[in-house]
Amino acid sequence: MSILSIENLSKSFGAAKVIDGISFEVAEKSIFGFIGKNGAGKTTTMKMILGLLKSDGGCIEVCGEPVNYGQTKTNRFIGYLPDVPEFYNYMTPKEYLMLCGEITGLSASVCKKRCIDLIELVGLEKANRKIGGFSRGMKQRLGIAQALINEPKLLICDEPTSALDPIGRKELLDILERVKVNTTVLFSTHILSDVERICDRIALLNNGKLALCGTITELREQHKQDGLFIEFESLVDLNAFLSKLGAFSWVNKTESNGTSLTIKVSDIKRAEKDVLNILSDHQLLPLKFEIMEPSIETLFMEAVQ
Amino acid sequence: MRMYSAFFKKELTEITRTYKLFVLLAVFVLLGIMNPVMAKVMPDILKSVMPKGISITLATPTAFDSWAQFFKNASQTGLIIVVIIFSGIMSNEFSKGTLINMLTKGLSRPVVILSKFTAALSVWSASYILCFSVTYYYTDYFWHKANIENLYLSAAGLWVFGAFLIASLILGGVLFTNHFGGLLFTFGLVAVSMMIGIAPELKKINPASLATLNTGLLSRQVDSAVFYPAIAVTGGLTVIFIILSVFLFNKKQI
Repeated sequence: MSILSIENLSKSFGAAKVIDGISFEVAEKSIFGFIGKNGAGKTTTMKMILGLLKSDGGCIEVCGEPVNYGQTKTNRFIGYLPDVPEFYNYMTPKEYLMLCGEITGLSASVCKKRCIDLIELVGLEKANRKIGGFSRGMKQRLGIAQALINEPKLLICDEPTSALDPIGRKELLDILERVKVNTTVLFSTHILSDVERICDRIALLNNGKLALCGTITELREQHKQDGLFIEFESLVDLNAFLSKLGAFSWVNKTESNGTSLTIKVSDIKRAEKDVLNILSDHQLLPLKFEIMEPSIETLFMEAVQ
Repeated sequence: MRMYSAFFKKELTEITRTYKLFVLLAVFVLLGIMNPVMAKVMPDILKSVMPKGISITLATPTAFDSWAQFFKNASQTGLIIVVIIFSGIMSNEFSKGTLINMLTKGLSRPVVILSKFTAALSVWSASYILCFSVTYYYTDYFWHKANIENLYLSAAGLWVFGAFLIASLILGGVLFTNHFGGLLFTFGLVAVSMMIGIAPELKKINPASLATLNTGLLSRQVDSAVFYPAIAVTGGLTVIFIILSVFLFNKKQI
């Protein structure tokens, strides 16, 4: 069952068409990565899902219920972490979470328990002081806690890792992976390594349209360009290898960089076999030998260009 | 109702922890003490600063002077401070984006407006009643059991005017989303209202009457028949402003 479905959604700000008829679905209990350049319309799309912005056309459904602009009931299924979460600085994390819990209608006892659990989940047990003095990372973690207070079916995070240092980023991604058990996560980012680390499916937004959409393996398969990467110990080895390579018909293109070589090939199976034969016949011992897979980065660059 | 009580509590916490409550209570208590004291000692001060040889005749101060001071100070210094303190009541939330977390939790938008209005109104009422009580106590102490005509009606009028200003700050904040928008909207309304006040036939329906004709009402220069309709109109406008704020806020992109 899909938690979120978007159909033919569009939005313009004045003359600029930010979102141009996009459609996608997010399946239950998965992590969905929403990627795109800065200004691609990721935040705009998320705000429309939350009913904070009015769409120009198309429809959005959360858990099978349509989203209405303004006062929308679907928000009871959703937890939202804005890109820069803002809190009431004069409150402590516990007070803030209690306020959030009361607003979502949790009973006082459940609310207290949730607060303690969530503060522990995001590691803010020792930060029992006013939010005003928190660092970006701590605010981001509190942001996750407040988004999870009502045990949402869908957690929407807007660039949750952009402003964090490597440790903060890792911790945040770990938290997202942990909540995946009960919650579907939709998160936007332009940090591609984060996507590779935790996402099950991705959608790439470019010029208001979906340039790519699918699981990472599917996308890699679709955009596979066969190639081999070999790194030698010395230039002598490399040149010796290159001189033998000319005779094969499967070589499309070779590119050397220092002592390493990239070969684009038309038939990967034959190429692998022949290359290994050359290496063993001529006693050439490579430092590295690998079959190239398209990285998310190359997919991203291809789609954006 | 749970949402309302949660958000109302949050508003009161905010007003307290950002020292707004403290400032308002301090100012209004101070005004409350000053009104009767200044009325009492002003003639003595004037006498002491007069050069020798010049004599002036000053009427003996009465309870009326004390209440005249009250209405002058509360309607000017007092209300200006109230307006400045509450000027960011809506715009702060917009500019910082603090409402996004609340609204995406399902907080109903009318509840935001209502709890903000009622919290500010409670604080204004508490400060005003405190100021009134202090003045009342000292006036009674200095001029035992003085009977002042229309005192409560006049005081109620000024209170309604304060509520009207708070409602216009909220409406201005929703309309313009920034700090100065709300402030200018309110000052603009007061300025227009003051100008209307020049036409005597409009006094009955003019909100500004409630803050300018108070002393006249005590001295019977102004008839109480002017005040009742003005209170009704101002109260009505306050309600309309709040309904309008709810309506506009519901349509607002955040």
